[in-house]
Amino acid sequence: MTRRTLVPLLVAVLAVGALAWAQPKVVSYPGLGMVAGTPGGTLTLALGDSPPRFFYYGEISSISQALTMQMFDTLIDFDLETYELVPGLAREWSVSDDGTVITLKLREGVTWHDGTPFTADDVVFTFDQIVTNPEARAGDAASFIFTVAGEPRPATFAAPDANTVVITLPTPAPAFLLFLRSFYIMPKHKLLPFSVEGGAQPADINNAWPTDVAPSEVVGTGAFMLREYVPGQVVRLVKNPTYWRFDEAGTRLPYLDGLTYLIVPGTDAQVAQFLAGNLDQLNITGGQFPDFKSRELAGAGFTVVAARALFGSPPHLAFNFNAADPELAAVFSNHEFRQAMEYAVDRMRVIDDVYNGLAEIPGTPTAPVNGAFYEDTTGLMRMYDLEAAAAALDALGLVDTNGNGVRNVSATRELEFTLTYGNDSAVWTDIATIVQNDFAEVGVKVNLQGIQSSQLLGTGLSGDYEAILVALGNQPDPELRKPIWQPGGSLYYWHRATQPAAQGERPNFDAMADWERRIYDVFETGSVNTDPVSRAANYREWQRLNATYVPVIMIAKPSNVAAVYDHVGNFVYNLGVIPGYNPVPHYFRR
Amino acid sequence: MLVYLTRRILIMIPTLLLVSVICFVVIQLQPGSFADRYLEDPRFTAETVARLNAQLGLDRTPVEQYLRWMQGILTRLDFGFSFFANRPVTGIIGERLAWTVVVAGVTLAFAWLVAVPLGIVVALRKNGFTDAVASFVGYIGLAVPDFLVALLLVALVLAYGGTNVGGLFSAQYLGAPWSWAKLVDLLNHLWIPVLAIGTGGIAQIMRQMRANLLDVLHADYVRTAKAKGLHPRRVTYRHAVRTAINPLVSMAGLQLPELINGTIIASIVLNLPTIGPLLYTSLLNKDQYVAMTLLLFASLLLMIGNLLADLALAWVDPRIRYG
Repeated sequence: MTRRTLVPLLVAVLAVGALAWAQPKVVSYPGLGMVAGTPGGTLTLALGDSPPRFFYYGEISSISQALTMQMFDTLIDFDLETYELVPGLAREWSVSDDGTVITLKLREGVTWHDGTPFTADDVVFTFDQIVTNPEARAGDAASFIFTVAGEPRPATFAAPDANTVVITLPTPAPAFLLFLRSFYIMPKHKLLPFSVEGGAQPADINNAWPTDVAPSEVVGTGAFMLREYVPGQVVRLVKNPTYWRFDEAGTRLPYLDGLTYLIVPGTDAQVAQFLAGNLDQLNITGGQFPDFKSRELAGAGFTVVAARALFGSPPHLAFNFNAADPELAAVFSNHEFRQAMEYAVDRMRVIDDVYNGLAEIPGTPTAPVNGAFYEDTTGLMRMYDLEAAAAALDALGLVDTNGNGVRNVSATRELEFTLTYGNDSAVWTDIATIVQNDFAEVGVKVNLQGIQSSQLLGTGLSGDYEAILVALGNQPDPELRKPIWQPGGSLYYWHRATQPAAQGERPNFDAMADWERRIYDVFETGSVNTDPVSRAANYREWQRLNATYVPVIMIAKPSNVAAVYDHVGNFVYNLGVIPGYNPVPHYFRR
Repeated sequence: MLVYLTRRILIMIPTLLLVSVICFVVIQLQPGSFADRYLEDPRFTAETVARLNAQLGLDRTPVEQYLRWMQGILTRLDFGFSFFANRPVTGIIGERLAWTVVVAGVTLAFAWLVAVPLGIVVALRKNGFTDAVASFVGYIGLAVPDFLVALLLVALVLAYGGTNVGGLFSAQYLGAPWSWAKLVDLLNHLWIPVLAIGTGGIAQIMRQMRANLLDVLHADYVRTAKAKGLHPRRVTYRHAVRTAINPLVSMAGLQLPELINGTIIASIVLNLPTIGPLLYTSLLNKDQYVAMTLLLFASLLLMIGNLLADLALAWVDPRIRYG
C-alpha cells in the first residue's frame, strides 16, 4: 500500500471512528439499579389480545404499540430515570430562537432491519405521508395544524440532507419536542405504495401490514425484528443484530436474543400463566398485590416491584354539570356542592383497601412524581370528614325535608342520583361501593349503574349520566392533555355546555364560570409560552384552581405494580404503552 | 326424500335472512360505538371519529349498512371486513376455524364415548349404587359451569407445579413444525378443555340415554324378545339400545353450533385460539361484521345440524320416513 492511498484510508478510518465516537452512546442507569448484562436468552411476556395489525398508525391499539415499541424507534426518547428528553434516532437537535424551527441531526449508520440505510427521507415520509394523513386511523393530523390569527396552518417537514430534518412550525409550541417522542419512524421503502406519494388513496395507508403480512415486510430500526405470528397465540421477535444502541461497556443492545409475546387475554389466565412460569413478567394491580407478595415470600422465585407512576390513569368522580334533570344539574354545577361531596370521598380507604396501599393522594390532576409540573394541592383538598360534608350540605340548604333519611333538592326532588362505573373491574366496583356507602352516611342516595369500563368515557361524552367514575391518563406535560382539562375541550365531558357549537369554533365562554375561563386561558398561554418557568407557574395555578373548585373529585393515583421472575436482569417497570420509554433492550437473562 | 331435502334447504334461506336482521338490530341497539374505546387517546379528535366512521361506512344509516353487507354476501360471498383488523372477516374466522373444529370435535367425541356407555350401564342398574354415583356426579357436572371446572383444573395443575395452564401448546411449540414432542405437548394441554367442556355434556347425554333406555326396556317388544328366550345381552343391545339411541341422534345435530357459541367463557378462561373468544371480543368491540358473520354461521350450523340429524334419524330408524 502506498503512502498516497494509506493517508486517505487512515483519514477515512479515523473519520468513521470519530463519527461513531461522536454519536452519543446510550447512558446506563445505575440509579435504576441497571448493570452490564450478558447477551443471550429470550424472555416471554404477555400480550392482552391479538394484534389488530403490525402497522402502528393503522389502528390505535396498545397491543400494536407494545410490539411497535420493540421493533421501531422514535426520534427522541425519555430518559428512563428522569423522564428528560434524550436522543433517539435523532442524535441532537436545536430550536430556533423564535421557537418555530426545529433542526434534528439524525444518527448515522443506522439501518432498517432489511439492511436499507435509514435516512431523513424516512422521517419526512413518516410525518408527511402517515402521521399527518387525516385518514390514518392512528395518525395525528390535527396536532400538526396550528391556528394562527384564526387561520389553520400546517407544520412542514424538510430533509435538506440525508441526516438532517427541519420542522417548521407556524407558531412556537413548547411541548413539541416532547410530543415528537410519540412518533415511531416508518420505512419509506416499504410503505411508499400505501401512501399518497406512492399513488394510493389517503385511506389506503391503513391497509399496510395486516397480520397476515410476511414478517420480513415489517422492518423497523428497533431492537427486535418480527419473526413470526401465530394467530391468536404468539408473536415472536428476534434480536436486531445491528441495533444502534450500546451499553456503557460497549456491548451492543439488546442483550436478549428474542422476545416471545404469548397472547393471553384475561387477567386470570395471565396470572395462571405467570405463576406456572410461562411468562417472565406481568404487570399487576395493587388489588392483586397481597397474593403475589405472599407467594414471593414463600419462595416462588419472583419479586413484586411497585413504583410511583407518572403515566397511568388516576380515577376521578365527576358530576354532570349538564345533567338531564335541571334540579340536579343546578346542584352539580355548584362548586360548593362538589366541595361538600369531596369531604365524603374517603381517599385513604380507597388507597388502603382497594389498592392495598399501592397508591397515593393524587394531584389535581398532575401526577405527584411529575417534578416539572406537579403542584402539591393536598392542603387545598377536602379530606374525608363526614361531619364537614354534612355541615356543608346543610349550609347549601340541601336538607332532608320529608324525614326519609335522604336530603332533598326541593320538595319533590330527593338528593338521589345514579353513579355510573365500570363493573368489569374489581377496582371500579370497590370504589363505587365505598362512595355509595359514604354518601349515604351524609344523606345522599346513590344508585349504582355498572357498564363496561371501555364505555365509560363514551358515556361521559354522550352526557347520558348523572355522576360517573372515570380514569384519564396522566402525561408529562399538561399540554398533552389539553382536550381533557381545558374547559370547552373535546374531552371536558363533565361540563359539555362549554363546548363549541361546531367543531373548530370558539368554545362557549358564556357557559364558563370565572375559574373555568381562567383555566381556559392558562391552557391557551401554555400552548405557546416558551419560557419554562412562567409556563410551569401557569399550570400550577390551574392545579390550584382545580383543587379549589373541584371540577372533578380526584380519588387516588395508583402505583405501577409488576411481578417479575428473578432471572430477569435490569427490570424497570414499563407500562408497555408509553412511546419513547422502553427499557426492554436493557433486560437480560441471568 | 329429494323433495324433502330441497324443501328443507330452501326454508333455510328466509330463516337465515331473518336471523341476520335480528342479529343486526341487536348489535345496533348495543350502547356505544366502535370508536368509543379510542376516545381518550390524545391522537383521537372529533374529526378522527368522523373520518373513521366514514371509512367504516358507519356514517350510513343502519338500513343501508345492512343492505350493503347483504349485497356483498349475496353477490360475491363477501362477509365484510373486521373494523379492528382491517381484514376480511372470512380470513380472520378461517385462522381460528381449524383449532375450533379440533377442540370441539375431540370434546364432543369424548363426551359421547363416555356418556352413551355410561347411560346404558346406569339404566341397566337402575337405582343401584352405580346409578346413584353416576347420577350424583352427572348432576354436579351439569350444575357446575364449564368455565368454573376449567378454573379449578387450572388451579389444580398450578398446585402440582404444572405449566400447561392455558392455550393448546407450550410457547416453544407454537408455530414449530409438527413432531411427536409437539403432539404430546398438545395432548398435555388439550385434556383440560376436553374435561372442562365435556363434563357438562356427559351428564346431559348420560341422563338422556338412561331415560330413553329405561322407557324402551319396558316396551312390549322387549318383553317379547325376552319371552322368545333371546340372550339378555342380545335383547339389550340389539333391541333396546338401538331404539333408545334414536332421540340422541337429534340431540347430536343440535350440538353443531356449540362449535362457536357453546364454550365461549371456558375458551376465554383457558385462552384457546378458537372462535368463541373471537365472537365475544367482536361483540364487546362492536366489530359488527365479525359478530354478525359468526352469529349467522352459528345459526347455519344449527340448521344444518338439525337437517343432518333428521336425515340420520331416518337412516337409523326404519319407522321414520320423509317425503
